[in-house]
Amino acid sequence: MEIIQIVGLGFIVTLLILIIKREKPEIAVQLSLTLASIIFLLILTKITVVLNLFRDMAEKANISQMYLNTILKIIGIAYITEFGAQVCRDAGEGAIAGKIEFAGKVMVMVMAIPIIALVMDTIVRLIP
Amino acid sequence: MGLDILFKIAGVGILVSVFHTALKQAGKEDMAHLCTLAGFTVVLLWVVQLLGKLFNTVQDVFKLF
Repeated sequence: MEIIQIVGLGFIVTLLILIIKREKPEIAVQLSLTLASIIFLLILTKITVVLNLFRDMAEKANISQMYLNTILKIIGIAYITEFGAQVCRDAGEGAIAGKIEFAGKVMVMVMAIPIIALVMDTIVRLIP
Repeated sequence: MGLDILFKIAGVGILVSVFHTALKQAGKEDMAHLCTLAGFTVVLLWVVQLLGKLFNTVQDVFKLF
């Protein structure tokens, strides 16, 4: 039951942050950043199993690896963007968080360009 | 795994705030600020290493090159 470990860890770190925040807010931000990293590293091994299953299924269904890889890249970019934006917003820098989210959206669009072009090509070929 | 780093950071935070108060009471304001800066830098060193590990793992898992 790793979820109980993670919830307990979250409570303990929340209490520690409450103690530290009054005196040293900058170290409190670093503490929450560390907790976020540790929780994600703990959970990543599980995600790997699921992703391997997806890859196997896509291979069996004869779906090109390009599509799956694009989707995975988009998920990764979305996760990293959200992580950075949340940390900035927690520290009270809403403007920087907004800029990070904007950059993430643009990156996702760039990643999706090959697929959009492919869809366009298909549509053009369907129209005689 | 690296759960001890959380308690190390919390310990550094509490210690630095105590030092800050003590040095301030003793009238050494500049030393108090240097102490805060040193604690912050040490913690930042640990956090940056952990963040590098996290980003590398995310790149590996989601094939972001």
